[in-house]
Amino acid sequence: MTSQPGPVLRMSYLAASIAGVAFFVLSVAWLGVWPARKLAEQARLTGPEHPLALTASEVRGRAVYAREGCAYCHSQQVRFTDADIARFGAPTMAWETRGDTPHMMGTRRIGPDLARVSGTRSQDWHLTHLYAPRSVVPASVMPAYRHLFQGAPDQPGQSARDLVAYLETLGRVRDLAWPGGEAPAEVVHPARARRTGEVPELQADGDAALGAMLYAGHCAACHGASGIGDGPGAVGLRPRPTNLALHSYSQERVAEVLWNGVAGTAMPAWRDRSIEELSALAAHLQRISVPGVPADPLRADQIRPTDEERDLGGRIYAANCAQCHGAEGAGDGSAAIDLPVAPTNFTRQTPMFDEALRALRNGIDGTPMAPWGSRLSGDELTAVAHYVREFYGGRR
Amino acid sequence: MALGSPSPASPALVESRLVQAHGLAALATLLVSVTFGIIIALQLWVPDLGAGTPWLSWGRLRYAHTQGIMLGWLANAFFAFLYHAVPRLTGRPVTSPQLGRWLFALWNIAVMLPGWVLVLAGVSQPLEWAEFPLVVDAVVLVGVVMAVIQFVPPFFTRGLDSLYVSSWYVIGGLVFTALAYPMGNIVPEFVPGAAGAAFSGLWIHDAVGLFVTPMALAIIYYVIPAVTRKPIFSHFLSMLGFWLLFFLYPLNGTHHYVLSVIPMEAQVTAITASALLGVTVIIVVANLLLSLHGSGVLAEDHGLRFVVMATIFYLVVSIQGSLQAFMSVNAFVHFTDWVIGHSHLAMLGFATFAAAGGLAHAWPHIPGARYNPRAMTWAYWLLLGGLTTMVVDLTIAGLVEGQLWQMGAPWTASLEAARPYWIVRTLSAVPIAGGFIAFLVGLTTGPRTDSGAGVAS
Repeated sequence: MTSQPGPVLRMSYLAASIAGVAFFVLSVAWLGVWPARKLAEQARLTGPEHPLALTASEVRGRAVYAREGCAYCHSQQVRFTDADIARFGAPTMAWETRGDTPHMMGTRRIGPDLARVSGTRSQDWHLTHLYAPRSVVPASVMPAYRHLFQGAPDQPGQSARDLVAYLETLGRVRDLAWPGGEAPAEVVHPARARRTGEVPELQADGDAALGAMLYAGHCAACHGASGIGDGPGAVGLRPRPTNLALHSYSQERVAEVLWNGVAGTAMPAWRDRSIEELSALAAHLQRISVPGVPADPLRADQIRPTDEERDLGGRIYAANCAQCHGAEGAGDGSAAIDLPVAPTNFTRQTPMFDEALRALRNGIDGTPMAPWGSRLSGDELTAVAHYVREFYGGRR
Repeated sequence: MALGSPSPASPALVESRLVQAHGLAALATLLVSVTFGIIIALQLWVPDLGAGTPWLSWGRLRYAHTQGIMLGWLANAFFAFLYHAVPRLTGRPVTSPQLGRWLFALWNIAVMLPGWVLVLAGVSQPLEWAEFPLVVDAVVLVGVVMAVIQFVPPFFTRGLDSLYVSSWYVIGGLVFTALAYPMGNIVPEFVPGAAGAAFSGLWIHDAVGLFVTPMALAIIYYVIPAVTRKPIFSHFLSMLGFWLLFFLYPLNGTHHYVLSVIPMEAQVTAITASALLGVTVIIVVANLLLSLHGSGVLAEDHGLRFVVMATIFYLVVSIQGSLQAFMSVNAFVHFTDWVIGHSHLAMLGFATFAAAGGLAHAWPHIPGARYNPRAMTWAYWLLLGGLTTMVVDLTIAGLVEGQLWQMGAPWTASLEAARPYWIVRTLSAVPIAGGFIAFLVGLTTGPRTDSGAGVAS
């Protein structure tokens, strides 16, 4: 080439620099500024006029989420794909993220998407999960955020409380913006626990061996290996995981609990499981609940009330229990709808006698079930315990 | 001097101490970043490792890992190469040795050190490839401007005697980085939601396309003719590739958010640009490989050997990138380990091999520096084996995860299925870390080079 570069060569470098800058500006305008304007317009047209702002605690929780890198394993965007919609609910709209600065949409999912996580898990579950993830989800690879706690899952520090408060906002705006005020659970998040809703029928002859395996992998963490509610995850949960060995369940009730979860408790919905798997779990459950005679817990106890006890139990039940549990024990009393945890439907689920007595005496921590030990005499408690157990299977 | 190859320069023009200082800083920050990477790879299957210690938790270490690789290892290695190459390309010294010492100190003591400390202490921003907090971003920006002042003016002053494509990439890369860095690191702090993600998406690609790639290509375009002593195959193709890359790279960013709420027009633009980019890279790589003139893939010269492998990785990772931008593929592999494999192929395959080639090429030219060819051979094979294992493993893992997600399998099924792959991936760190240690040994042991004039060109 030339040994005298001259102005032409220098000009060409200059031209390259200018063109380079122009390319860059073009890209930012085309793929940054223009989409931003379009998204703002979309948000304005489709979003609620007065978006919910985050509380101070939720804002702090968001900062914890940001600094711990949560967004690097949990995306916050449901994409417009069938698989995403089936698993996480309706695709994320522009207006849903308009308050998120900086955004945490994410590009990797080691854990599930969290854009709609509100309502899918209870607060105590979240806290337990943050403190010791594998105590509630044995297959989880999430880091344990013990440093946000004071030594126990039910002793959260302020950061842990804030973080859970923030998690409860994810999907909330979409939920509330639904016509009528609250979206159907499956639209917001298909895995959300719900109080009512269609439940598929489980097969009567589930594979109990498969059920035992599934139980060990997914249920034992809270309900304990033998079903007595003493799993490693149980410590921080309110209400405590049910002692499955001390209750009997109808097949319908098992289906309902597995499919819908138990809203207001840490029991999640297992709708991502096949009917075969759920049927298998149901078969295993029938083995561990009330060993020996699952179909007839009354006979299993060999404890029968006298007629006087039945009368006394009925009077006390009508006066104190029926408002929530319903006159016929179906959990459909007039107050039931307002309770954060649905009252037990005794026609489909019944405690063993001792367990009934214990619940009556002490109440059930973490639910609206109050302790009656100081208000009723021993005879009265016994009578009510007998009385509620006789609802099971339409016996009354 | 023939068109299309770097010119010799008087070694007196070269700030050899800065080549050496940045080279050693590059390797030091690399080993730290790799350690972070190994811990987080382990944590995926030993998740309670480090539990209860905030700075050892996965999220914070991941921030430190990627920022360390990009700003610690690659940037330092690129600076080392620029101190070697810019005077040789321009026949002029860099702007100021004094500025060079300040840049070195600023970059390592005011960027890397506080960046890592703050991120591990929980002061950060949750933006990919931009995790250092705003205060560190400001220092990085000062550093980039200093680098522009240091390296760009020699190209415009007296003494140009060849129009070489490396020069174009150096100028373009530095100027673009100065523009793209604030756009990706600062703008999303003020633009909410999906709109902020649109800017983040641009930066995720610009970090690779406008900073890492131009510098890596500058090294490759420099080392091949410098070692073979033959010109680049086609100057026309070099220039065509340069202009196409610089036009297309910035338009790729939105492909990180395909099928999201970001307007479809932007997504389609990015996907189209991604496809065209793949075609362009085929041209660029063909031109580079044809320039080997029979030197072969396994050249005697370690610098050449590394950059040739970088060139091959560049082709593979770019074709893969074009492929995974397409909606149907993206719907399947996005969010999976496939993408992690892809980014390692880009940063550890293409960029790291280029940076290593640049260092290996420049090092024997430093008067009095030690150089151990045997260790460099070990480094090459260990890195090649480790990286290939890791990328193949993560790619399969991604396909398995994607399939399970498509099938609607329970989430934990994808974790259980990924576990063996995560174990293999962690084991692949043994040869990779070993390769980097061998590389460090290669630059710090062995016979000293002539402390007088150094080796010409």
